[in-house]
Amino acid sequence: MSDGAGEPAIRARALEKRFGPVTALHPLDLDVAPGATLAVLGPNGAGKSTLLRMLAGLARPTSGELRVAGDGDGRAARRRRVGLIGHATFLVPALTARENLRFAARLHGLADAEARAEHWLAELDLEGAADRRSGTFSRGMAQRLSIARALITEPALLLLDEPFTGLDPDAAERLASRLADADRRSGATTLLVTHDLARAAQLADQALVLARGRSHGLDEACLADATVLTGAYHDAVSALQGPRG
Amino acid sequence: MSDATLPSQTSLAGTSSLLQRTTGALCLLLAAVWAIAVVQAPVDRVQGIVQKILYVHPPCAFAAYLGFAMTAFYGALYLWKGDERHDQRARAAAGVGVLFATLLLLTGPLWAKGTWGKWWSWDLRLTLTLLLYLVYVSYLLLRSFTEGSERAARFAAVYGIAGLMVIPLNYFAIDLAGGRSIHPENLERGSLGAGMSLPFWLGVAVAIVAYVHLWLRRTEVEHLRGLLAAREATMAHRDDPGGASWDS
Amino acid sequence: MRAFAAILWKDLLVEWRGRDRLAAMGVFALLVVTVLFFAAPPGPLPSQREHLPGLLWVAVVFASVLGLNRSFALELENDALSALALAPVDRGWVFLGKAMASLVVLLVVQALTSLVFALFFDVDLASVAGRYALVAFLGALGLSSIGTLFAAMAVRTSYREVMLPLLLLPLLLPVVLGAVRATAGLLDGEGLLFEPLQLLLVSDGVYLIISFLGFEYVLDE
Repeated sequence: MSDGAGEPAIRARALEKRFGPVTALHPLDLDVAPGATLAVLGPNGAGKSTLLRMLAGLARPTSGELRVAGDGDGRAARRRRVGLIGHATFLVPALTARENLRFAARLHGLADAEARAEHWLAELDLEGAADRRSGTFSRGMAQRLSIARALITEPALLLLDEPFTGLDPDAAERLASRLADADRRSGATTLLVTHDLARAAQLADQALVLARGRSHGLDEACLADATVLTGAYHDAVSALQGPRG
Repeated sequence: MSDATLPSQTSLAGTSSLLQRTTGALCLLLAAVWAIAVVQAPVDRVQGIVQKILYVHPPCAFAAYLGFAMTAFYGALYLWKGDERHDQRARAAAGVGVLFATLLLLTGPLWAKGTWGKWWSWDLRLTLTLLLYLVYVSYLLLRSFTEGSERAARFAAVYGIAGLMVIPLNYFAIDLAGGRSIHPENLERGSLGAGMSLPFWLGVAVAIVAYVHLWLRRTEVEHLRGLLAAREATMAHRDDPGGASWDS
Repeated sequence: MRAFAAILWKDLLVEWRGRDRLAAMGVFALLVVTVLFFAAPPGPLPSQREHLPGLLWVAVVFASVLGLNRSFALELENDALSALALAPVDRGWVFLGKAMASLVVLLVVQALTSLVFALFFDVDLASVAGRYALVAFLGALGLSSIGTLFAAMAVRTSYREVMLPLLLLPLLLPVVLGAVRATAGLLDGEGLLFEPLQLLLVSDGVYLIISFLGFEYVLDE
């Protein structure tokens, strides 16, 4: 769905989020190529979620320009191209897995909700549980269903907000491989917000460090492995935070 | 935590703007003239001395309604432009508006007891004012119970606008319910008694200038509060960079 | 439009599965009617009965506050509210979906309450059923529309259950008074009075417009 022609999937110019004198995100320039995976790293309160929520079309930037997948302005239009997977699953507990997927597709105005739901149930091995209410699902199954829920709209940009939180190492590993797999097949651009540097080194091909609303890009060499990334990350964070008062 | 991170004394002391000082002085001056005029004004033959509340009560209504109109106006401006200074103005207007509405609702029954013989009457304007008062008290409560300054600003703006838009509906509703007005219609009929006109309009002027003055001051307090919150957030980061967060 | 239908379908399906909102509102409305009966027992004289339409609508308003709170408390689970905010449509349609679902539930509760009310207080609603249904519908529409807007705010404040009635009640007067007057007119045999009906229609219109436009800002982060 990326509109090719060299247009980056995410293009931000002087993107800023303030409320009053509190600056959540200082002016940020960002380009992410279609199909690439960008890891957004940083301590709590760094502005990561703020960036993600602006990209998702949930929050308004205070100033600056933001284009996702070549769209113009208009947050409703942007929300059409974006899929969000967070630590909250967005699932309706009283609905079955199938109904949850149909609801998500219809909410996005898609006509073939039924067919899409069946397709994504199969993709994530949830056919056996299709008619069970999602409220009865284990954490791992709910997580899978929430991935299906996000992918059913075939987003050009997939936003992952700490998707590994609360998962045991096995489940996290399975989730990571599923994400890598889904990513490869859909060709979607991915933005991964995480504290897990090893995971970031494994999945990302570009990284952005945020601390106190200021940003620093890391080049590809930093993502060689977890050790290199950890070093580069800590250097970036201390540079951004400045000397401690 | 060095002193350099705290707001400096000069920036706080030097904030009282020329406009604030002018309105403050003007208010005092007008109030003095108004007080003399009120004393000089003739005592009403029918109502007696209690009628002098005329020079306090309706002027409060002007200020209160001005406050509520400005709350909605700056709320709308905030939603449109997204500039938090408009929100500070809206919030200040609501606070000062509620202050004048409180005065209005306190002086009203005094007058009512003196002339109608009872403290309260479910008359059109009384009911309307009481409802509006409740709307803006709810507005202030909504603000203090909403976490996150941006969300509080948006919710409050929507509520403030809704509150103003419902006024005409409430008017018809109370009228329909038979809350016929027993309020004097002095202004419309231009029937202020001889010698009452000057102190009355002076009173209105005092109330409006006092409103503007308080509103300017209040807006500044809101602004400083925002600055303080920002400083505190910065310091929390300094002390604990991985801790307190703004956005999660 | 599709998002509107999806939300309406989802809310009604969830309600049908649990029926908890319906049960809570229904029982609450009956309790209010019972308490009001003993608090202000109606006598045979017309002057002892003229407050009856007011009592009926008080019960409906209280029950609707309960239901509206529940409607959004449900959306907090798994942060489903953000999922609604992410829908790539004008959020006015999200509002309409939520409001119409609440309207349907409220109409069912109203039907039950009215029935019990007519029996308890010996009120002849049956002979004016059609016109009363219209008044009830218009009243419920106003309640559900502005109520949905404020419930979406109240649910994200720290004082959820308390906040909604505080926000809602001062603005509900036009629609409640319109409904009460119209109902009173029907019971007094005056037929469908024009003025209350006009007030109801205008209030519904104003509430719908405010809520449709305001929801965009209320759903933002």
